[in-house]
Amino acid sequence: MVGWSGRRLALTILAFVAPTLVGITIFSLYPLLLNVFISFTNKGQYHPNPDCTATVWKIMDPACWLAKPPTGLAAPYSVQDPAIKNYSNLLGGFFTKDVLTAVLFILIAFVPLIVAWRVNRYLDRKVPRPISPGPVWLIGLVGTLVLGFLVNVLDQYQMILDSGDFIMVNVRTIVYVIICMPILFVLGLAMALILNNKFLRGVTFFRVVLIVPWAASTVAIMMTLIWQFFFREQGTINQILNALFGIQGPAYLNQAGWAWFIVVLVQVWYTYPFFMITLLGGLQSIPLDLYEAADVDGASWWKQMVNITLPLLRPVALPIIVLSALTTYKIDAIIWALTRGGPTAGAGKPGATEFVMVHAYKQIFQTRSYGLMGAFAVILFVFLFAATLYSLRITRITKGAYE
Amino acid sequence: MKKSLFALLALLTVLSMVLTGCGATSTPVPPTPEPAKPADTAVPTVPPTESVPAGEAVTISIWHQWSGDYLTAIEQAFKDYTAMHPNVTIDLSKPEDTSNALSVAIPAGEGPDIIAWANDQIGTQALAGNIVALDDYGIDTAFLDSTYEPAAVRGVVWQDMIWALPESQEGIALVYNKALVTDKYLPTDPMDFADLLAKAQAFNTDTGKYLICNQGLGNPDAYHVAPIYFGHGVPEYVDDQGVAYLNTPEALAAGNWMVEFSKVAPAETSHDICKAAIVDGTAGAWWTGPWAIADLEAAGIDYGIVPMGKPFVGIKTMMLSKNAVDRGNEAVAVDIMKYFTSGAVQAKIAATNKTIPAATAALNDPAVKALATLAGFGASLNLGVPMANTPYANAQWGPVGDATTAIWNGAQTPEEALAAAQKAIEDAIAAMK
Repeated sequence: MVGWSGRRLALTILAFVAPTLVGITIFSLYPLLLNVFISFTNKGQYHPNPDCTATVWKIMDPACWLAKPPTGLAAPYSVQDPAIKNYSNLLGGFFTKDVLTAVLFILIAFVPLIVAWRVNRYLDRKVPRPISPGPVWLIGLVGTLVLGFLVNVLDQYQMILDSGDFIMVNVRTIVYVIICMPILFVLGLAMALILNNKFLRGVTFFRVVLIVPWAASTVAIMMTLIWQFFFREQGTINQILNALFGIQGPAYLNQAGWAWFIVVLVQVWYTYPFFMITLLGGLQSIPLDLYEAADVDGASWWKQMVNITLPLLRPVALPIIVLSALTTYKIDAIIWALTRGGPTAGAGKPGATEFVMVHAYKQIFQTRSYGLMGAFAVILFVFLFAATLYSLRITRITKGAYE
Repeated sequence: MKKSLFALLALLTVLSMVLTGCGATSTPVPPTPEPAKPADTAVPTVPPTESVPAGEAVTISIWHQWSGDYLTAIEQAFKDYTAMHPNVTIDLSKPEDTSNALSVAIPAGEGPDIIAWANDQIGTQALAGNIVALDDYGIDTAFLDSTYEPAAVRGVVWQDMIWALPESQEGIALVYNKALVTDKYLPTDPMDFADLLAKAQAFNTDTGKYLICNQGLGNPDAYHVAPIYFGHGVPEYVDDQGVAYLNTPEALAAGNWMVEFSKVAPAETSHDICKAAIVDGTAGAWWTGPWAIADLEAAGIDYGIVPMGKPFVGIKTMMLSKNAVDRGNEAVAVDIMKYFTSGAVQAKIAATNKTIPAATAALNDPAVKALATLAGFGASLNLGVPMANTPYANAQWGPVGDATTAIWNGAQTPEEALAAAQKAIEDAIAAMK
């Protein structure tokens, strides 16, 4: 029942929307499709050129649209046999009995902590509360440690890492995010609490000084190289150690443990001002009369912290934690400038700090295995898409937009 | 009001997309040509100019790897050429990441006409179709044999086709500071690594300094550790048939030697760290090539050169790109390649840059023969292993560099590290075959 005016309306709308649709198709949709296509082929440094006689290639590969498509001595790239070979190379090692059992064991080790959390929530509803939450958490923690020891968590973790490069870099990156986030939150909150203290003199001065790392992140590579120089064999720290105590320190960046410490340290240094400023804003939005009422009731500083400050900071804290977790997950330039993904663990293995983006960079621009990395990107896209949707749900960032 | 705002936004978005799209594809403006200078008195006497169409203005772009003081003398040679051929403009540029830049620029028709690069790139570039064989453009085996040294000729021929013209040969040797390293610390036999280790230990005990800084030890760099592996008897990392030699007892002996040597050498190295170490006097010798000499001379260091081990002998070459043929620039480009690699030009460059020319005439030039660096590096090159130009060559750098660094840092034992490297190279070659 679309009348002339309805069709005219539809056409008018289409005319307005069309340029954007064309833009989205060319600049977003087509590259995605091309990547998915390449992820099923063996395109790489030894098979760089397309086979422009085949119809699919003629449509998909932009090199075939040229007047003179590139040809060399190498055989053109072709679809892998079987087509999902790149995907099974990346993920195949994970879906074996041993590795899945290892994952299960690690999950089992965390059961006591989860139980403790649920028990505490249940007890919260009881008035008066039979036991305070501390001992429950302690029992959960001890349970997790004991179970972890029994199922040998470290060995299971190593088995998961060894199941493939893709799994290794992803698991390591997730562990890196999990290490960075609490440090960032605690440090950011501590600084915010100090700056929020009305008895502190020279607040403006401290705010400016503490925010310097954030400002410096516009010249991140330069600042990172300065950090790198601190930890070199002949760097600042070893020179100080040598001058004061006569100790010759090691080349920190050549040792996996130290390299991890350094990449965490530098990322925390860059990002804590973001937490500090945002949490400071959150702190200042908490009504003071809540604290006054708590003072009248005789609540200690810690009780006020746990029962007033932290719950009311939650709407501010969750989005920044999610945002930082995502940016930390795809950290690249800082790691590249600091360690280049090293120290190396030997040929054919990702280095100790070779996180997802650094690994992808090395595989694409140094090894140039485009087909394999196409599959890498597709899997990562699915994973990050799901993570983003979930994070939107838990933070309700977009909730306001629909109301 | 709101709707029109959206329409405006949409329009702006599309516009910005279109504009950025255009920006990416626009041709870079070539730099203004150097003003043609009146012919220099020192202009080389044998410019082969037969095939250049006179009068027609043409710009030849060259992508290269030269830098610093090295580049100055080379630029002068090209200025001399353009002075003789006022219709030709030469545009030199040094892209950051030549390999990836070429794979994008050549299919798009925006690549250089000439690529100045090491001969190990020949196989890969020929596979990708970025360079063309010179046999079709007036270069034959007779010309090569009569003009260049035999080792250099072998370096540019692959699958019975000529892919480049050789410019110079290079390899590394021990460049030592005469003020620090006395004769008793110098290796007497370039193949005696036990002796070198003992001397490095003695030097470290006596002076508290490191005898040698090698940027391949403590930093993934298969090129700079080649003298150690090959000196222990490894024939090549990968040969022309794609066979790797890292699981051999000789490679293991080299690995075990490195474990001992790491105790008397800096743990962390790079070109810059080694340079600083020798300039500051914390290391006595630098295992490096002719390209480092200019810096040492600038620092006023009285240096000597002794051969050690069997280095990789690389050939610096000039390759003709597919784009030059597409543009019809091939005749001028080949002429420039012949001119630049000729004896007269290379002799002049060798005098300032201390390079070892590939052209026989330049090597026989009395001024070049008299260069002390030529004698020093020449002795090392005579022991060396020519760098392969097959595409397999590309599979060796990463694994050997990583394995050596893992041995050096103690992350893996030599057995583990070399077995992993062997496997990584074999996997890469299997993917290629």
